[in-house]
Amino acid sequence: MRIYEDLRLVQTRLAVLQNALVVVIVLLAGVFWHLQVVRGRYFKTLAENNRSRVVPIAAPRGPLLDRRGRILVENRPSFNIVVRPEHVEDLDDLVRRLSALLRVGEAQIRERLAERASPFRPVVIRQDAPLEDVAALEARHLEFPDVSVDVVPLRSYPLAAAAAHSLGRVGEIQKPQLELDEFAAQKPGDLVGQAGVELQYNRALMGKDGSRRLVVNSRGREVLELVREPPSDGPSLTLTLDQELQVVAERAFGGRAGSAVALDPMSGEILAMTSIPAYDPNEFATGIEPALWQKLTGDPETPLMNRVIQGQYAPGSVFKIVVAAAALEEGVITPRTSFYCPGHLAIYDTVFRCGRPEGHGMVSLHQAIAQSCNVYFYQVGARLEIDRIARWAKRLGLGAPAGVDLPHEASGLVPSSDWKMRTQRVPWYAGETISVTIGQGQVTVTPLQLARLAALVANGGHLVTPHLVKAVGRAARPDAPLDEPRLRPETIAAIRDGMCAVVNEHGTGWRAQLQSVEVCGKTGSSQVVASRVRQPTAHAVLPHGWFVAFAPREHPRIALAVLVEHGGSGGVAAAPVAREILAHFFQEQAAPKPKAPAVAD
Amino acid sequence: MPIDRRLLLNVDWVLMGATLMLTAIGVAMIHSATFSGASSGLYVKQASVVGFAALGMLGVLSLDYRRLADRAMLFYLAAAALLVYVLFFGPRIAGTRRWFLILGLQVQPSELAKIAAALFVAKVFAEMRKDNLGLRDVLQPGLAVVSLMALIAAEPDLGTAFCLVPLFLSISLLAGLRLRAVGSLLLAGLVVFGLGWKYALHDYQKTRIYTFLDPSLDPRGAGYQKIQSQIAVGSGGLSGKGWKQGTQSQLGYLPARHTDFIFSVLAEETGFLGVLFVLALYLLVLWRALEAAQLARDRLGAFLVAGLSSVIAFQVVYNVAMVAGLVPVKGLPLPLLSYGGASLLSTWLSIGLVLNVRMRRFAN
Repeated sequence: MRIYEDLRLVQTRLAVLQNALVVVIVLLAGVFWHLQVVRGRYFKTLAENNRSRVVPIAAPRGPLLDRRGRILVENRPSFNIVVRPEHVEDLDDLVRRLSALLRVGEAQIRERLAERASPFRPVVIRQDAPLEDVAALEARHLEFPDVSVDVVPLRSYPLAAAAAHSLGRVGEIQKPQLELDEFAAQKPGDLVGQAGVELQYNRALMGKDGSRRLVVNSRGREVLELVREPPSDGPSLTLTLDQELQVVAERAFGGRAGSAVALDPMSGEILAMTSIPAYDPNEFATGIEPALWQKLTGDPETPLMNRVIQGQYAPGSVFKIVVAAAALEEGVITPRTSFYCPGHLAIYDTVFRCGRPEGHGMVSLHQAIAQSCNVYFYQVGARLEIDRIARWAKRLGLGAPAGVDLPHEASGLVPSSDWKMRTQRVPWYAGETISVTIGQGQVTVTPLQLARLAALVANGGHLVTPHLVKAVGRAARPDAPLDEPRLRPETIAAIRDGMCAVVNEHGTGWRAQLQSVEVCGKTGSSQVVASRVRQPTAHAVLPHGWFVAFAPREHPRIALAVLVEHGGSGGVAAAPVAREILAHFFQEQAAPKPKAPAVAD
Repeated sequence: MPIDRRLLLNVDWVLMGATLMLTAIGVAMIHSATFSGASSGLYVKQASVVGFAALGMLGVLSLDYRRLADRAMLFYLAAAALLVYVLFFGPRIAGTRRWFLILGLQVQPSELAKIAAALFVAKVFAEMRKDNLGLRDVLQPGLAVVSLMALIAAEPDLGTAFCLVPLFLSISLLAGLRLRAVGSLLLAGLVVFGLGWKYALHDYQKTRIYTFLDPSLDPRGAGYQKIQSQIAVGSGGLSGKGWKQGTQSQLGYLPARHTDFIFSVLAEETGFLGVLFVLALYLLVLWRALEAAQLARDRLGAFLVAGLSSVIAFQVVYNVAMVAGLVPVKGLPLPLLSYGGASLLSTWLSIGLVLNVRMRRFAN
């Protein structure tokens, strides 16, 4: 028997359910329409960002070569061990295993991880890792899926400290630098030049980074390379430096503080530039240790300062070249003018002493330069007066930066009556002029300015622009044309005579004598004010010794300035250093030292 | 067991065809989602489960659903026993006990429990011979369902446990439960949820709900799944990136891409058109199933079909909404498409029961 149940209510409610289902499915389809068609483009971008990543390819920084193509600075490959922490599940465990493998303290790794700016940025846990660690890590690639080895070019300075100040150093870009136009293309963490040529020519050296567009999986591992834009390497820079001369100059100081700079007198090319104490730029290549940085910046001997362009010293008797030139040009004296030196000069109610207490007797300009007679120049200076001295000092390149292609060059100071009124609001005292004539008092110069002065005497009166870079890539820097001579030939001839006598005619610079080449020079001593010395030991109150020179006398090929800090008189301290540099330059290897003449400094 | 040849004429071949087509699409998408990985053979495994499922379906078809419902109490007790067994003796996988092995086969009692619960609840309500039910009338079957839910939730498997709610509600609604009573039940559900939130939910579950509300809270954690799924779906566009060409799934950005998030793979690789096609197939399956309920010769058949359909409907709607980022991420497979033998088998058995009811609508 068939029993018919009343199914009306069931069927009504079923129809409701059926229709509700249609509505829900249609609504869902609408959601997918919105996601896939309306917002499709947006999500496509997100998917693309997900899967592809632009990885920069660093352009290798250009190498630095010396004037003969020898390597001064190069890049060497180094290995950085990098952790990508975003997917690491057990960070503690990873740190423990890495610490054991790399023999690095867990605390050190943790510190690096804690320093990271964002959880998505890879963290370098070991810079410049040794090869065996890299090999150990590569062999355990599967155990460390989130650790990788990046190959990074590292700056290498084979000369170490010997040319630190001219070559400079690289370091991570600093926050204030990021805001400069010069570094507009850089981002935090980039290595840029921080001193010397590395800084001055940073933009040229950096080249242009390339990039790779990669497909990466959800763990950030590379799956496929889509596009590669190769980097354009930084061009090599050919410097004017001579690598050997540079090393010789550094050694010639025997560890004493001081500086030396040698120029080609015709072109202004810098053949050697030494500033001591120095630092090893290799220490900066991987990021300098804070403790070492503290030590370098806190050192009273200022190893970070390039004394050649930033050290400002009283020129001492070297300044007599300027006074002599001014006097000859102004017609105050002729090369034959003589004065009597009794050992001192009483003028303007003061007694000014000569270097030789018993006096030089009757001295001509020639003898006055050779023997560095103060009284002769007191007489000349009293007749010239300060403003004519200042004008000529400036014409000869003092009191203004020499224009070298290095950052932060100092200008020195050439005092004048205007200057004193302007800065101190008191008139110039005539007595001060007397001090200035022998390079004491307010006048200060940099070693580079004096080397330029020597070059001027050597090249017939032209003021050259000292520079370090000969060529960028294959493009040689054109030689600047020589400007108008600043001095008349007769003036030059008279000064050259005197400077030649300084070295070769029993003058104060005899220690710079060479056998085969006639060296012309001038000594000087820069008085150190005892009260300014931190620890007034006997050594510390010794004057800085100057020696400027050029050689040979005819058609000079080198001009230089040497300063030995607290070395004593220039003839004793600086002339031998200059001699070593010159001896090497003229290839006088086994030159016997000159014998002492009868006359003292 | 021989089947009456007249019955075969009444099999709903449209429903059968749509089911087969969805299953085939599932196998294809599983292949796409896994071919590059270590488990590239999973689609073969899934395809072979279809063989078992077909046998199971044939078995279900050969028995009159009324005879099966007569043994509903037995099925219910067996399911409960299996659920208790797995809680104590099932292997612990990722902190859960959901299945056990028997003769090399994975048995997932919670999937079988859905069918047992449907038979039991349909039978109980079919025997209430009145059209106007109050809360008191549904108390007894309600408690029976809640006990099963509690056992499943204890594994823990909240998603599957929750599937019994639409099952119970749909059958009791058809049986004549007053709408006001439905409202009170929902209210009671809210209270239970509130208490559960406070005392029973695991922290990871709470985190999932928080990050659902604000995925940026944890873009690499629980919110990650939702974000990546939306990116996969959205970037599929109108026509998709092509089979095996979805970057989100192929590069591993999509989590659980061959199981709970198989629909994301489909949406990414076949685009809106593919989504529309598959949603239409689901609508067809469910529409034909509810039609079978309409046509059923008795209340038992209608209730049974409606209960089973609502479970499938709930899973489809929830899973698809989850893939679109509309609801919190729950471990709930998409019937017929997701990888997983137990889910596939139970869905095929459910559809077998639906076919069973429809083809016996004229039989005595």
